[in-house]
Amino acid sequence: MSSGKRKWSAALLAAALLAVTAACGGGGDGGEGAGGTVTLRFSYWGSDARQKMTEEAIAKFEAKNPTIKVEGEFSDFDSYYESLSTKVAASDAPDVIQLEIRALREYADRGTLADLSSSVNAADIDAKLLATGAIDGKQFAIPNGANAFSLIVNPALVESSGQKLPDDTTWTWDDYVDLASKITSGSDGKVTGTQLSWNPAYLEIYAAQKGESFYQGNQLAMSPQTIKEWWAIMQKLIETKGSPDAAKSAEVGATSVDQSLLGTNTGAMGMWWSNQLGAAASASGQNLELLRMPKLEGATTGGMFMQPAMFLAASSQSEHAAEAAKFIDFMINDPEAGQIILSDRGLPANAKVLAAVRDKLPEADQKTLAFLEEAKSELKDPPAAPPKGASAMEDILTRYSEEVMFGRMTPDDAAAKLIAEANASIAG
Amino acid sequence: MADSVAVKPRDAVTEPARGGHRSTKRSRREARAAYLFLAPWFAGLLVITIGPIVASLYLSFTDYSLLDEATWVGWDNYVRMFTQDPRFLNSLWVTTVYVVVSVPMQLAFALGLALVLDRGLRGLPFYRSVFYLPSLLGGSVAIAILWRKVFGADGLVNAVLAIFGIQGTGWVAHPDYALGTLILLHVWTFGAPMIIFLAGLRQIPSSYYEAAAVDGAGPVRQFRAITLPLLTPIIFFNLVLELIKSFQSFTQAFIVSNGSGGPADSTLFYTLYLYLQGFRDYDMGYAAAMAWVLMLIIAGLTAVNFLASKYWVFYGDTK
Repeated sequence: MSSGKRKWSAALLAAALLAVTAACGGGGDGGEGAGGTVTLRFSYWGSDARQKMTEEAIAKFEAKNPTIKVEGEFSDFDSYYESLSTKVAASDAPDVIQLEIRALREYADRGTLADLSSSVNAADIDAKLLATGAIDGKQFAIPNGANAFSLIVNPALVESSGQKLPDDTTWTWDDYVDLASKITSGSDGKVTGTQLSWNPAYLEIYAAQKGESFYQGNQLAMSPQTIKEWWAIMQKLIETKGSPDAAKSAEVGATSVDQSLLGTNTGAMGMWWSNQLGAAASASGQNLELLRMPKLEGATTGGMFMQPAMFLAASSQSEHAAEAAKFIDFMINDPEAGQIILSDRGLPANAKVLAAVRDKLPEADQKTLAFLEEAKSELKDPPAAPPKGASAMEDILTRYSEEVMFGRMTPDDAAAKLIAEANASIAG
Repeated sequence: MADSVAVKPRDAVTEPARGGHRSTKRSRREARAAYLFLAPWFAGLLVITIGPIVASLYLSFTDYSLLDEATWVGWDNYVRMFTQDPRFLNSLWVTTVYVVVSVPMQLAFALGLALVLDRGLRGLPFYRSVFYLPSLLGGSVAIAILWRKVFGADGLVNAVLAIFGIQGTGWVAHPDYALGTLILLHVWTFGAPMIIFLAGLRQIPSSYYEAAAVDGAGPVRQFRAITLPLLTPIIFFNLVLELIKSFQSFTQAFIVSNGSGGPADSTLFYTLYLYLQGFRDYDMGYAAAMAWVLMLIIAGLTAVNFLASKYWVFYGDTK
């Protein structure tokens, strides 16, 4: 029982951190196999259903391109970036990579992605949506689906609490808080009006209504005042019981949409990305609708925006750049791929693919599509990809919001600290 | 040490005439065979343990995002940790509170139960297994999820409290109580130290107790004068082990807080913050530096523990 042994076990912890990195090195390069076929590696996250669809689409691609073989590398979202970044660190990056907008610049700014401007046809994708995948004129990523952050409502629960659905073209934040608290009181607390969200997209929409943007270059561009007013909405919701108290909110906020108040029919409203309507509806088993976000009184814009649900990108280290581009092109532009994937990766970004598959989309997504088309003229331009280091933004926002909701920090103090920490994270 | 000891007695048996330190052909051959058999383990140690340790030491002095090359920054990471990073200091504080509160509680609980079980209960193996079960499961993801449910706003605990008319809060998601639920979870995994205590209790000769009883010592006196002193090596062993283990706790906080260390950083364990820095904020150099600081902390504590043990640990077999 020597003390040395104990120290070693402590040292093992330090080792474990890097062991992962080191162990990933020297994997297969996916080089040319027998008979001149090329093997591509495609890494993506998602549900089991997505894996099935993706494998089906891959099979179709391989049938069309007998000299290319595609190996899917699939994981759930929680561990996706962890394994992707270690693969990149080990010079073992997959050829084709699925990314979301938050991570785009983490990868693109560090030179890990290839410019696809000339190799993938993006003519049928909305130019402004496409632009979110471009940095300094280089198209590092192609959006393959789009969605918008919006409010999801359960009309039956609103009505059973003796309330009416709001006119979402005119409703204000005060109306929203008022409706939420009346739903709670009208149902004797069986149904809670809404649940809190700390999604940066929510704050981005609110800031836009005040005429401010979220980021400006490598800086947070919102005023502390905006953040404080935004918190005041949530504080009022808690006060009037329109939402659960701070502790329950923190608990509910940590779960996915199918375990949310809305998903379990214990809440009437909530805010999510529009492509989560399907998941929420199937969890709740009831009819759910999308609504526009409430507005500030006198605001000239609703602030809502479309954003790519996810992108496809190619590794700059890939030895098979042409084949990788071909695969991305297939996944995004080929209606046959669209027929298989449908709206699983968001509503298809390619207009022609969308037109070809729109009748086959599940009911919830048809609803989303109708909603987005109706609100299209009000939507502001898709914001550019957030700066490198912004991956931490949601975490930072959640943390300071909770400090304020629990009354552990004054809004003034929290807003100042939030801005300082976010700016340090982005710059660093 | 252990290796040479294992080889020598064999030497002594086969060639008693030669004896001493001089190695013979045969023993050299045996040593070679031993090293040959040990080689895979050595290779593993070098590649999987020592290599990464050295690499992480190097990386702790760099700015390394995982995605591009590491650049040397000297002591920057270490300086930043203690001067510019309140979250780091907070994570150190949270972890310290967790360790200082949960380890003594867990050991006391384990010792208490071991004493009860040692009374010669019928069906002891059964109880032993049942009480050991949480130790097997406690660090698992499933139990952490269960914990989130039990201590949630609509969980079992609040349902029980409601019977007594008490309206409980969401324990896992309240900054004042979240760490408490994790401490409870740790205390609940008392099985492993309990088994070791039980084995230790069995080692104490019953003649001591008989002699004490003849001299008129009651159970409390017997416990303090016989059980406790003779058990100190076992307590010491458990203490060292549990201290190291709980400083490295990760899974519980990761799952219960949904990977954030929340609410409001109240369950931000050291290792969880390290993980977030490395894999979420792409700051692997900083994470490596944190790993080394943790190693130094644990090594230092263990050293202090061993030094202090001279004053309170009593080894019955040494005079």
